[in-house]
Amino acid sequence: MSVAEAVQAGTLPGRVWFYSNYHCNLACTYCLTESAPSARRRVLAPATIIELAGQARRLGFTDLGITGGEPFLLPSLPELLTELAQVLPTVVLSNGTLFTEARIARLAPLAGLPLAIQISLDAPDPERNDELRGPENFAKVAAAVPQLVRAGIRVRVATTVEPDRLDEADHARLCELHRSWGVPDEDHLVRPVIRRGRADESGMGVVFDHSQIPAELTITADGSFWSPFGPTVRQGRLDTDLLLTRTVDPLSRPAEALLALVGGLPAGADAQIGIR
Amino acid sequence: MPLVELIDHRSAPLLLRELFGGDDPGPIVGALAQVPELCLVTLPFVGAALGPSHVPLRWKEIAILRTSALLGCRYCVDAHTVVALDAGLAAEEVATLRCERPDTATFTDPVERALVAWIDEVATGRGPVPDHVGAELRRHLDDHTIVELTVTVGATLLLNRFATALCLPSSPATLQRLAAEGFR
Ligand code: SF4
Repeated sequence: MSVAEAVQAGTLPGRVWFYSNYHCNLACTYCLTESAPSARRRVLAPATIIELAGQARRLGFTDLGITGGEPFLLPSLPELLTELAQVLPTVVLSNGTLFTEARIARLAPLAGLPLAIQISLDAPDPERNDELRGPENFAKVAAAVPQLVRAGIRVRVATTVEPDRLDEADHARLCELHRSWGVPDEDHLVRPVIRRGRADESGMGVVFDHSQIPAELTITADGSFWSPFGPTVRQGRLDTDLLLTRTVDPLSRPAEALLALVGGLPAGADAQIGIR
Repeated sequence: MPLVELIDHRSAPLLLRELFGGDDPGPIVGALAQVPELCLVTLPFVGAALGPSHVPLRWKEIAILRTSALLGCRYCVDAHTVVALDAGLAAEEVATLRCERPDTATFTDPVERALVAWIDEVATGRGPVPDHVGAELRRHLDDHTIVELTVTVGATLLLNRFATALCLPSSPATLQRLAAEGFR
């Protein structure tokens, strides 16, 4: 079975993720990649991302994702996203704190393109959200999302919670908030904290086996991984348990390795935990 | 201390999980596992080149241990001293192959004498192997055996430099056995 056939048959997820960088202006308590301003940057060159995105389309993948670290710390990100969204529909994950007016203006070419910015918001009030994600995070997100929506850019809101910790009242308040910002219900997702990276250090999140997470091919400066939950960092060391190959170009190398592993999963294995 | 991190079974990359099988498979695999796709092709090759085949294991161990000693690879000499003893080589033969004796007179069988001379030239020589050394080996062995033993020497050279450059440590069990056999 080719990669294209596997994607069409739903055996292989259609999205390829790229870790554009690992550093971040925040340092969240549950961060999978131990990101922080001082974290090793591990930048994947934009030219490499564009080249591999083209290969992804030719291989039969259907969507792209950019994550990090905070991708918007890269000066050339708006231009990179504009190019990628013309290759395949793209989602970019962001903490939502860097959307100054000038940066939003640079995102104007993205309006109308198949691109979504997925912004994290973990609680419906500043106190609890900012305790996890850092000072003023809530206020910055609350300012950025409506502005991006007004600029014609699709925004998704992602809420990361300890399993079973989001009560109904909080959920309802979060939904009121995102609706008031112009983000529809289908663009709000709630996902569990994953026990890797800093979350593992803090004793947070769910433990999982790789068969429980979608096999979304993930490319980083350090190689390819099974899922964007793979290239996590603990005590400064990159985890290798979900490493596929160090070779990422040609993309067919890691894609075929992933396909072989997916083919070897026991029947009935069901991937339920998603990043998106 | 190894120069690079040796990957243990808890960190075994997905493509290598079966190979690790829940155990730590030793420092060569632990280091190679840093590059899973390379590890996956290197191990079957090394296994075929160094492991059991139609060529007598005794001859293969002569090739491996002698090459490792000539290259000064502590890790491979330690490991293959034990394997050679287990393959039935006598302690004096092992000491000879480890270059601990001034000559190779321990080996009296003309085939093995020709083989050791061949290994010495292949492993450490620069440029062509002298004609008479090749001709003598060919008097005793057929072509496919010469080819295989030459690959064994070549694969050993690869492992020798790999293990030496990355400062791979001998296992405590190997060191204990060497001490018990009087090789430490
Ligand atoms: S979770 Fe996201 S926003 Fe928070 S530190 Fe990690 S990369 Fe940055």
